[in-house]
Amino acid sequence: MPHRIVLSLTAAIALTVSFLVMPAGAQSDPWAKIDPSNQSLVFWHNHTRSRQDALQAIVETFNESNPYGITVTQETQGSYADIFRKMLGLLGTSEVPDLVVAYQNQAATYQLSDALVDMTSLLQSPKWGMSAEQQADFFPAFFQQDVFPLFENARLGLAPNRSMEVLYYNRDWLAELGYDEPPSTPEAFKEIACKATRTPFSKADGGGAMGYQLNLDASRLASWTFAFGGGIFDYETSLYTYDSDGAQQAMAFLQDLYAEGCARPVSERGGAIADFSTGRLLFSSASSSGLPFVRAAVGAGAKFNWSVAPLPHITPAPVMNVYGASVSMPKSTPQRELATWLFIRYFTSPEVQAGWAQAANYFPVRQSAEQRLGDYFERHDAYKTAFDLLQYGRHEPPVPGYDFVRAMAEEALAAIFAQGRDVEKTLDRLNRDANVSLQEQLEYLPSAE
Amino acid sequence: MPSRAFRLPEALGRRLRRREAREQLIGYLFTAPAVAVIALFGLFPLGYAFYMSFFAWRVRQGPFRGLRNYGKALGEPDGVLIFAGAVALLVLAAWMWRRARQTVPERRLLGLLAAVALLVLAITAAVTGWGRMLETGDVKFLNALPVTVYYALGSIPLQLAIALALACVLFQNLRGSAFFRMVFFLPYVMPTVATATVFRSIFSSRDTSMANQFLALFGLEPQQWLAESRPVLEVLFGWQLPDFWGGPSLALASIILFGVWTFVGYNVVIFLAGLGSISGELYEAAELDGANRWDVFRHITFPLLSPVTFYLALIGFIGALKAFNHIFVMRSPLAQGTVNTASMVIFDTFYLANQYGYAAAQVVLLFLMILGVTYAQNRVFGRSVIYD
Repeated sequence: MPHRIVLSLTAAIALTVSFLVMPAGAQSDPWAKIDPSNQSLVFWHNHTRSRQDALQAIVETFNESNPYGITVTQETQGSYADIFRKMLGLLGTSEVPDLVVAYQNQAATYQLSDALVDMTSLLQSPKWGMSAEQQADFFPAFFQQDVFPLFENARLGLAPNRSMEVLYYNRDWLAELGYDEPPSTPEAFKEIACKATRTPFSKADGGGAMGYQLNLDASRLASWTFAFGGGIFDYETSLYTYDSDGAQQAMAFLQDLYAEGCARPVSERGGAIADFSTGRLLFSSASSSGLPFVRAAVGAGAKFNWSVAPLPHITPAPVMNVYGASVSMPKSTPQRELATWLFIRYFTSPEVQAGWAQAANYFPVRQSAEQRLGDYFERHDAYKTAFDLLQYGRHEPPVPGYDFVRAMAEEALAAIFAQGRDVEKTLDRLNRDANVSLQEQLEYLPSAE
Repeated sequence: MPSRAFRLPEALGRRLRRREAREQLIGYLFTAPAVAVIALFGLFPLGYAFYMSFFAWRVRQGPFRGLRNYGKALGEPDGVLIFAGAVALLVLAAWMWRRARQTVPERRLLGLLAAVALLVLAITAAVTGWGRMLETGDVKFLNALPVTVYYALGSIPLQLAIALALACVLFQNLRGSAFFRMVFFLPYVMPTVATATVFRSIFSSRDTSMANQFLALFGLEPQQWLAESRPVLEVLFGWQLPDFWGGPSLALASIILFGVWTFVGYNVVIFLAGLGSISGELYEAAELDGANRWDVFRHITFPLLSPVTFYLALIGFIGALKAFNHIFVMRSPLAQGTVNTASMVIFDTFYLANQYGYAAAQVVLLFLMILGVTYAQNRVFGRSVIYD
């Protein structure tokens, strides 16, 4: 009897030890036995022209080189908003694509109906996932952006590219005004912008001189708030903080710029690029993804030297608003999901990232891609300047209903900037309305039931 | 004396009944496709929207909310009831006014005074009820309702008046009238999004925009146009009237101009058809009686065109209350929501806030509003229509 007890105990201990020393993922890799072979996948995205061509090349290479016979078809489905609207109508049906571009707040909205695959287990899969080293190669801010605390830290996407809010400036005009460097503080920014309105650029194509044009966009509000040390969302309380001190200071600064005649709102789509490229506008803040368009417009316009810089800030280091859509995976079958994941893994690999970044003018999401971008950096110094600012990245909140809040923020920004409304009251009201909207969104989270 | 009723032979009766049944069946079969289409694409979506409006529906169906979506839009019941009471008083005032005008002279003044008193009471109640609704309801949605009314009242009468004038001119068989008829009709057939984009550029707030260049010809200051949230009356005359009485913003007025430009051509074509149907003998008789052009227009053309005018007004109002595409293209955050008609707010609730249940409640409310306006229009103006 004692002998049998000893044997049983020994067996139990041996099993426990073997279980403990087994690789973590192998204990329960739900994907280990799934076969992704011969799946035909559809990828919905918003890229057109040269970006679509570059993506097609990536897809073709993947289709030819993957050993599982997986075939991906990429399809342009309109703008981000178009895709979002189409997806909302198709969620839960078999018509959804296997892969779709989605901003974080859009992915959060899809997940309200439990429609997306949580990629965590795929990422961690010993057989199909990424090693710890590979995961660490992602820019941390980008990598974390698709993990949603609201949905029990589910990973609802993976970033294939990112952009960043930067300040475009006319370097030649700046020199004519007597400055060697772009302004790094709000005071200097105001001084130069105001001076520019009184001192038109010598090569300007057409009359008029403007210091700064502000696009009335929620991301501009966020960017300026970040630059003034504030935030628009508290991740601990899951509440908007549009009434933060930083936001108030930033908005008061912009309001003052407008009141002094040194800044104007962008009145037409593409108006800022048109004015900048013809040498009538000194500063414009916009997405870094617009770099090739600005390059082309200036080349066809007043042909001057220009570059990008961080927004003037009161923080010790710049705080850059980094944004961009990730790719998300609507639920289908395990085989299709795994096949889709293999494409994502390929798409986000350093080699592919380096090529995609150059073709699309986005930033790569893998740090090691930098080594492959040397020539490109040399040819495009503005891109290199922006790339070096990635380390200061911060992002806007990945919460459902953020599009609705963005519309509110844009009206608030317009009211403060161009209509001289009371900054504190307007931001207080925006913050209250935004949080009411957020609470309504979170009222029926799937996990809460 | 008992009458002997004529009776068909039994077999013949059966045959006739069968034939009648067959004819009815064929009739139903002929109408079935239309009924199916209307039921599927007209009634079902409406019924489904009505169903959704009772639920919290955020991408997927949530719990039952009863009337809370409606409460969220309109506010506390007391405000809604006061406002509904005001509408009832208004109807009563209109009825009393009409009765008073038809009654004997001794009672007329009293009746008219009572109607005016009721009207004042109705306006007071409406202001009180509306204020309460704004306090407790969805300000975005409620503010969209007067914007929708401004849009409809600003565009329909103007486009009808211009279209009637143009139709009368074109009806004179002047040289090139066919060409102008086509030119006027073109805006109606052109893609709205494209033309609205062009209008957006024309009414841009830039000093170099066409609208501002036009003002500059007369030495006038450039305007913000689509980016101007202040009411037109304030921009033009500096009058700062409260709330509804301030009128539409300059941004909305710019959009109204687009609406007028787009639909004038269509109205011209319909008016021309109406003018063609008026008998020439009436004009000849009027001429013999010595009527001048204005008299002819006032006493013959305008009354006999009333069915066409009524039809265009009815269709125009329904269209204006549902207007969306061009407003979507032309709206800007600088307009501060002053161009957001009910359709725009519903779109935002649906696609930006993803609150489908609440958006459905807003749809039902807009539908009821359209129904109410159409009914009122029918009752008020339908009587003035002369059909022959």
